[in-house]
Amino acid sequence: MDYVLKLLPHMLEGWKTTLSLFFLTLILCLPLGTIMGIARISKFKPLQWFMEFYVWIFRGTPLLLQLLFVYFGLMTVGIRLERFTAALLAFVLNYAAYLAEIIRSGIQSIDRGQYEAADVLGLTRFQTMTNIILPQVFKRVVPPIGNEVINLVKDSALIYVLAISELLRVAKTAVMRDETFVPFIMAAVFYLFMTAVVQQFFKWVEHKFDYYR
Amino acid sequence: MYMLRALDIYKSFDHLKVLKGVSLTVQRGEVIAIIGPSGSGKSTFLRCLNRLETIDRGTIEIEGEIMVQNGPDGRAVYSGEKEIALIRRKMGMVFQNFNLFPHKSVLENLILAPVIVNRVPREEAEKTALELLRKVGLENKARNYPFELSGGQQQRVAIARALAMNPDIMCFDEPTSALDPELTGEVLKVMQDLAAEHMTMIIVTHEIGFAREVADKVIFMDEGIIVEQGKAKEVIDNPKHERTREFLSKVLRV
Ligand SMILES: Nc1ncnc2c1ncn2[C@@H]1O[C@H](COP(=O)(O)OP(=O)(O)OP(=O)(O)O)[C@@H](O)[C@H]1O
Ligand SMILES: [Mg+2]
Repeated sequence: MDYVLKLLPHMLEGWKTTLSLFFLTLILCLPLGTIMGIARISKFKPLQWFMEFYVWIFRGTPLLLQLLFVYFGLMTVGIRLERFTAALLAFVLNYAAYLAEIIRSGIQSIDRGQYEAADVLGLTRFQTMTNIILPQVFKRVVPPIGNEVINLVKDSALIYVLAISELLRVAKTAVMRDETFVPFIMAAVFYLFMTAVVQQFFKWVEHKFDYYR
Repeated sequence: MYMLRALDIYKSFDHLKVLKGVSLTVQRGEVIAIIGPSGSGKSTFLRCLNRLETIDRGTIEIEGEIMVQNGPDGRAVYSGEKEIALIRRKMGMVFQNFNLFPHKSVLENLILAPVIVNRVPREEAEKTALELLRKVGLENKARNYPFELSGGQQQRVAIARALAMNPDIMCFDEPTSALDPELTGEVLKVMQDLAAEHMTMIIVTHEIGFAREVADKVIFMDEGIIVEQGKAKEVIDNPKHERTREFLSKVLRV
C-alpha cells in the first residue's frame, strides 16, 4: 500500500500526459473528421479521390508506424517536432481518417427524401447539411464514435515508442526498477477508469438523442 | 392566365425514355389529377415540374416566368439558380413518404423553411404554423415529434409544412399510397378543403374516386405520354381511349 501511494504521483504525472493526448486528439479530430467525411462525398471529384486515398493510407497502416513516421520521418527531411507534438499530429491524422469514414457512412445512411424535402422548401445545400442532415448523422454516429474513443484511450499507450512518459511507460519503468508487478495493475486500473467514464459519457449522449427516432 | 405551363417535356434516365413529349397547362385554382399505371412516368413528370429532376428537352413556365426552355441546339437550358430558386418557391411539394424532419418537432418542421429561407421572424412563423396546424386538425400536436404521429397525421403535417411557405401551386405525389386504408380519408379531406379554397393543385394519385370528385381535370398517362385528358368525370366515366378504359377497369375492380 505504501508502495502504491509512493508511486501514485508519478503515475498521475504520466496520466496527465495520456489525458492531454486524449483530449487534444478528440478536440482536433472531431471537427476535422467531420469535414473530411463531408469532403469524402464531395461533388468535386479530386477532393473525393484525395480523401479516399488519405483514408486508405491512415486506416491501412498501423498507428505505431504512423507515429514513428511522423517523428523520425519528418526529422530526416529536417522538420523537428516536439515528441508530444509529433504524437498528437499522428493521432489526429489517424483518428480523423476513422471518423471521416464514420461520418461518411452516417451521411449516406440518411434517406434521400430528407434532401428532397429540404430542396423543395428552398434550403441551400449548406442549410440542408447543417439543419437537416448533420444533426441526424450525429445521432447515428454516437455509438461508433464511442467505440473509437475507447480505442483512443487504449491507443494512447502507443506513444511510449517516442519515449514520452505517459501512463504505461511510467508503469513499465517502475516495474523494471522495483521488480514488482503492482505498477501494471495500477495502470490497468487507470485505463479501466477512463474507459468506464467514456462508456458512461456515451451512454448519456445516446440517451440525450432519445427524444426522436 | 395560366399558372403553370409545361411544353413537350422529354426526360430519360440513361437509355430509358420516361417522358416522351408531355405537355400540360394548369390554370389558376385548377385541380389536376394525374393517373396511370405504375412506371408510366407520373412521378417523374411531377418531379420535373419543380426541378427535383432535370429535363432533357422542353419548356416549363410558372406564372409567366421561364424555368427552363430549349436552347438553339434543341436541348433544355435552365435559367439561373437565383431565378429558379424564386420560381420554385411558388411550388409546394408533398411526398408519398411524408419526408418530415424526424429530429424536429411538428412546429419546428413547419417554421424551419419560413425562418431560414424566407427570413420570417420566428414568432410570426410560429403563429402562421399554428394556424396551419389548426387547419389540418393537428394544433394539439405542435410539440410532438413525427415518430409520435400516425401516418395520416404525418402526411397532414407535411401538407401544412408545404403550405407554410405560402405556395401558389401544391404538388402531391401519391400522398395516400403509404397509408393504411383507414387513414387515407383524413388526408384526402385536407386536400379537398384546399381545393375548396381554390388552391392550384397537381395530384398524382391512385384514388380514382377522389380524382373524380375533387379534380377539375384528369390526365391519364401511360408509357411516358399523356394518352387522354379532360374533365374529371368525363375521363373517368367515359374514357375515350382503349388504354384508359383498360386501366380504369383494372383499378376500379380492386
Ligand atoms: N432516378 C431514376 N433513375 C432511373 N430510373 C428511374 C428513376 N426514377 C424513375 N425511374 C424509372 O422511370 C420510370 C417511370 O417512373 P415513375 O416513378 O415516374 O413512374 P410512376 O408513374 O410514378 O409509377 P408509380 O405509380 O409506380 O409511382 C420507371 O421505369 C422507373 O423505374
Ligand atoms: Mg410514382
